[in-house]
Amino acid sequence: MGLLVGKRIFSIVALCMMVGLLLLPVVVALPSLAIGEETHAGDAAKKDGDKVEKGRDVYYKTEGIVSGAPAPKTTDGVKDYPRYNFESRVLLWFANQQHLYYGSFVLAVPIFCMIIEFMGVVTKDKALAKRYDQLAYDFIKISLTAYSLTAILGGILIFTFLTLYPAFFSYLSGIFRPVMHIYALMFVAESGTLYIYYYGWDKMREGFLKWIHLSMSVVLNVIGTLLMFLANSWIGFMMSPAGVDEQGRYLGNIWHVIHTALWNPLNLHRILGNMAFGGGVVAAYAAYKFLASKTDEDRAHYDWMGYIAMALGVAFLIPLPFAGYWLMREVYAYRQQMGITLMGGLLAWLFIIQATMIGILFLSTNYYLWQAMGRMRGAEKYQRYIKYLVFLLACGYMVFITPHTMVMTPAELKAMGGQQHPVLGNYGVMSAKNGGINVIITTTVLSFVWYMRGNKVSTVSWAKFGNIFMGVFFGCAYFNIIFLAVYGYYIPANVRVGLSVPQVATTLSCLFFMFALNSFMMKGAKQMGPIEWGKISARSQYALIMLATAFTWMMGLMGYIRSSVRLFWHVNEIMRDNSPWAYTHTVGFAANMISANVLFFWITILFVFWLGSLTAKKVPVESKAGIPGSVPQPAPSH
Amino acid sequence: MKALMSLGALIGVAGLLLLGGMIFDVVPSNTVRLVEGYMPIQLLLEVACFVIGFTGLSYMMNAMGMALPRFWQGIGFWIFLMVYLKYRVYPPIPFSVRAMYGTVGLVTVFMWVSANEEDWSKFKRPIMNVLDAQTGMNRLLRYVYLVLIPILIGGFSFNAMMPKSEEPIELRTVHPAPPASTKVHGKTYTLQTSQNPYRVNPDGKYDQEFSNANIVEQGMGRLMKPNANPWDEKNQGYLKYVREGGEIFFQNCHFCHGDNLNGRGLHAFAFNPIPANFTDPGTIAQLQETFIFWRVSKGGIGLPNEGFPWASVMPPWEQHLTVDEIWKVVLFEYWHTGYYPRTWD
Repeated sequence: MGLLVGKRIFSIVALCMMVGLLLLPVVVALPSLAIGEETHAGDAAKKDGDKVEKGRDVYYKTEGIVSGAPAPKTTDGVKDYPRYNFESRVLLWFANQQHLYYGSFVLAVPIFCMIIEFMGVVTKDKALAKRYDQLAYDFIKISLTAYSLTAILGGILIFTFLTLYPAFFSYLSGIFRPVMHIYALMFVAESGTLYIYYYGWDKMREGFLKWIHLSMSVVLNVIGTLLMFLANSWIGFMMSPAGVDEQGRYLGNIWHVIHTALWNPLNLHRILGNMAFGGGVVAAYAAYKFLASKTDEDRAHYDWMGYIAMALGVAFLIPLPFAGYWLMREVYAYRQQMGITLMGGLLAWLFIIQATMIGILFLSTNYYLWQAMGRMRGAEKYQRYIKYLVFLLACGYMVFITPHTMVMTPAELKAMGGQQHPVLGNYGVMSAKNGGINVIITTTVLSFVWYMRGNKVSTVSWAKFGNIFMGVFFGCAYFNIIFLAVYGYYIPANVRVGLSVPQVATTLSCLFFMFALNSFMMKGAKQMGPIEWGKISARSQYALIMLATAFTWMMGLMGYIRSSVRLFWHVNEIMRDNSPWAYTHTVGFAANMISANVLFFWITILFVFWLGSLTAKKVPVESKAGIPGSVPQPAPSH
Repeated sequence: MKALMSLGALIGVAGLLLLGGMIFDVVPSNTVRLVEGYMPIQLLLEVACFVIGFTGLSYMMNAMGMALPRFWQGIGFWIFLMVYLKYRVYPPIPFSVRAMYGTVGLVTVFMWVSANEEDWSKFKRPIMNVLDAQTGMNRLLRYVYLVLIPILIGGFSFNAMMPKSEEPIELRTVHPAPPASTKVHGKTYTLQTSQNPYRVNPDGKYDQEFSNANIVEQGMGRLMKPNANPWDEKNQGYLKYVREGGEIFFQNCHFCHGDNLNGRGLHAFAFNPIPANFTDPGTIAQLQETFIFWRVSKGGIGLPNEGFPWASVMPPWEQHLTVDEIWKVVLFEYWHTGYYPRTWD
């Protein structure tokens, strides 16, 4: 009893420490923010006697007291751009990208842990609960090693900035001085919380203590997310500066500097992107272990792990294009010029590559699900319809990747009779592309629904009606999406942009209503047979590896696009890049660079996995009652 | 079910015969026309019909005991797709886009034939049979492939390495990003916020909804709205400005951009690329009105670096027209095509 009370006290103290750590940066920073601004402005006022110079915010159009130096006007030379006998930008690109990969991974994995641990706590099947708990623990262990590497890479990134771009970094850190301090303190808080969470795992395995432990994961993720939001404010400022006047002088309002035009869309896009990426990496890890497994038990475990990671990743992948759409809409609203450079101009071909990668992600997911139906008895009835799903996916994909700016020889151009192809040119614009991607996502939802009911036969009295309703619902959804895509050509562009809302609503309706209806229909359903974990084709595991590689490649690509849209500006329209590298790389060079980054990340993450496996505990495989030799079914929705 | 599949088979056979006939000029190549304005969706529907037709055909052949092996079904469908894209669509699709579609086709055919173990083993069987070489025929085929595949790869390598004198491909940016502002006749216009001063309602205020209600209808007819004829002398305000813009257009622009604004003017085919087709939904319909104002004012010579290789002979119209005339001609282009300028509200 005494031991239990002791543990409880320990847990509550640990949780309080975490909350304290979370609040620490805010508490420490608040007075400095308030005092700092006043003294700063006050100092400036003193210097000029009582005369206070005011400036106009370039974005918010408000007036503020000038509290900082103007953005430096750099010149090409060793003073502003010290260098090795190599392109500094490429070095920075490499350091930044690696830090981002690991940063995304260590932010995403604790969110997975939180979800999986929660699933473990609420599930009634004890064997399954244990497996979930073990899985969450395995994840956080991997994350711990990656966390150190993230910090090291962060250090390398700062040194790269300081040594190769001192003028720019000095300006940026001058503007974000208080934010950077809060960021550093948040990092301390994140580290402390992570260690308490990890090392407290065994002590807080049961009952009330488990809930405390789960709460810790919530605190950990809140800190991690805030940390990312702060880092996003820097890139948001570089793309769409605010809180400064035309000369780049800080006007004393730190919230304006943080809350730029693109900050919120970037935040949302990055959260979802990180989650999808994290899911992909863990799924690839599971796939690799599955392929290397020697026993059926190991194969079953890693098959299950891969499925869970894939499902979590895809859950966040589905809304990702919509978040991306919002981001691009805000980019266009902020600067038409920037939007056209991205999607219709200089970087348009990179967007075609991005569309190709998004298509690969969804195709891989669908393929994996079809393969996964192979481990269920009874799923055969859906197999003959797969060819129609393939057709829908292919049509959606082809429309989605059709370029607006086509690559062609002058002879082809002449034969075509103009820059715009009268048939395919229509696929190259947003209205058709929205239709294409929504068809792809709806088809993915349909594949999921088939997968979830693969080995089951509904026993509810209204099963026939339910099936007809679902079929009609999906049919109407496809019709609505395609109709709106065509109708978009006959209405004003600003209304057309709004059409994406009913299209997305249609897709999400399929996702939520059909999943919910399917769950009701499958409640107490007759099982045709168990899910035979481990009995899945090797091709499915290659699909998971493909999924993860495509995620990694796409992250690198999107980071490059987002960064290079500033063209020759360090800070858009405020601080010009006067280094010799203020030009846009060729598509080929960028693709090679992204591939090199992807390769390096995968080599190092394999090292991290290997380190994690050195202390790995053997996962206990417990059989579910009634199904000898098989492992429990993981997904409660099945 | 059987009746449905028979119908599908009929569609498949008829479609194939028609496509073959049109390719080999047995029947006129415009027997089934791609209807302007509906071509993109027509294309998708045609391919869907072929898929339904092939399903029916496969079912019927299976029922008659003449099932086509899955291997040849996959290969055959991919070949059909490539032939369809090459010969059905006119004007011809550039090779780069056909290559993209071909790759997607190949990937999706693979997904189809390997979606489950049974299909995958059916698909692999002919390949495995040749590799195992249990029969004389397969043994012969294996030797043929042993010789043929290296020769093919060698041929491709040789072709890739051989110096060529072909025209280089161009990655031309159709709509280069405009500057944040542009200076025309001494006045600076911010492209993000400027408005066409002639897009006004009867009260003389900027009103896009009013002008949208008075443009011609889209589609093949391009009919004017009742009581919205700019050439009616009684009409004032917006419609009068459209008329004035039209007069400027037909005095200066239509020689290249055509009297239907479709880029097929009298001199159009002297240029490569031919002038922009404003009736295409991918041109002015996608852009803010200020973008057109900037392009017309600065012409081909004013294209930014991004517009490489600057393949536009359009003169900088600011040297020939006033600012008001440029705004009016832009107004006319949107009115005539039935498109609305892009806005961000």
